[in-house]
Amino acid sequence: MTTEAVDAKARIKEFALKRGALVCGVASAESFDGVAPDGHRPWDLLPAARSVVVVGGAPPRAGDWISPLHEHQESMGTSQRIEPVGRQIAYYIEEELGYYALFVPGGVGGGNRPFLSVMLAAELAGLGSRSLAGPILHEKYGMLYYAAVVTTLPLDPDRPLANPVCPAPSCVEMWEREGTTPCINVCPAKAWGCLDGRIENGRFVRTEYKRDLCQTRVYTNWVGGFQKALEATLNEPDKEARKMLLYGSFFTRSLWSITYSGQSQAQCFECIRVCPVGAEYRTKK
Amino acid sequence: MGFFTISPELYRRYKDQILELSNSFQRDINEHLPPAERKRGLSDREIAERLGLEERVVTEIRCVAERDLYGLEEWEKAIEFKKQACREYVETKIIRFLKT
Repeated sequence: MTTEAVDAKARIKEFALKRGALVCGVASAESFDGVAPDGHRPWDLLPAARSVVVVGGAPPRAGDWISPLHEHQESMGTSQRIEPVGRQIAYYIEEELGYYALFVPGGVGGGNRPFLSVMLAAELAGLGSRSLAGPILHEKYGMLYYAAVVTTLPLDPDRPLANPVCPAPSCVEMWEREGTTPCINVCPAKAWGCLDGRIENGRFVRTEYKRDLCQTRVYTNWVGGFQKALEATLNEPDKEARKMLLYGSFFTRSLWSITYSGQSQAQCFECIRVCPVGAEYRTKK
Repeated sequence: MGFFTISPELYRRYKDQILELSNSFQRDINEHLPPAERKRGLSDREIAERLGLEERVVTEIRCVAERDLYGLEEWEKAIEFKKQACREYVETKIIRFLKT
């Protein structure tokens, strides 16, 4: 890797951290080959892509995590606070360094499919590892929100972590003692939850995650819930009963959410609430 | 119909296969599994090639199926699940330690 590529990476990282990112890493575009499906690789978004810059940060505050009202944290959207850092990096790469840079939109391209998996990008950039619960976990901070920028700028790439953050040592101990982990215990696939897995010799040898079931919990009052409630309303022949559906708490909260009027898009934190990774960072007096 | 859609018959025929091949059920996707064990969901293009369908048809069936998989009652269960899990965590792991 050239000196210019190393210097440019240092400048971008400094730029990102000054603007509020807690972590910043770089994945090479070619590292997606074989692990991301055709149509969802960096060069599917930006021809001649060489690198993907990933920034992470904007976690919920420690106080949010210990509120007994789950609705509180659901209304505290923080994922959108890291996205402006990604957009600023794209601007910086184009205006200061003279290369194409494309901010990866946080939304989806079709159904539940992202344009490019930002979680995979974070993993390949060495910022954390995929947890049994789903999110990428950073060793110190635990769950963070991430944003990614695809660029034609050649950069010195980071490497995926040699050792996974998940399962944490205390989870391995719990598995050996009880045959479960904190996240599986709170949301077990065997009891109509989202998660399952198996640990052998301190590492996962099997994992299972029901994404679409998780969607009903993470996006309870969002697009999916709105569509379901609308369908029920359209099918309701009684005028007064329709009013109960339309004016009721579920439909109202869903409208607040999908119009971005004060409700977060991330609406379930229960598997991460009990996760020991990042717990020290989330613990205050 | 004014925009692209699929027939209910076509949807019913392929929805389960398409969800199974996509990322809807993520089994053994984690990166630190043994390399031979790690799997990923297929893209719509890959699913289309496997099932002999057009990619646009696969995308449309997948989009509908993702939403259709669970009934509205699952959203109500989600609210109850979160209320209970959150309160239990705070009561058993937080409050008693904050009070000491």
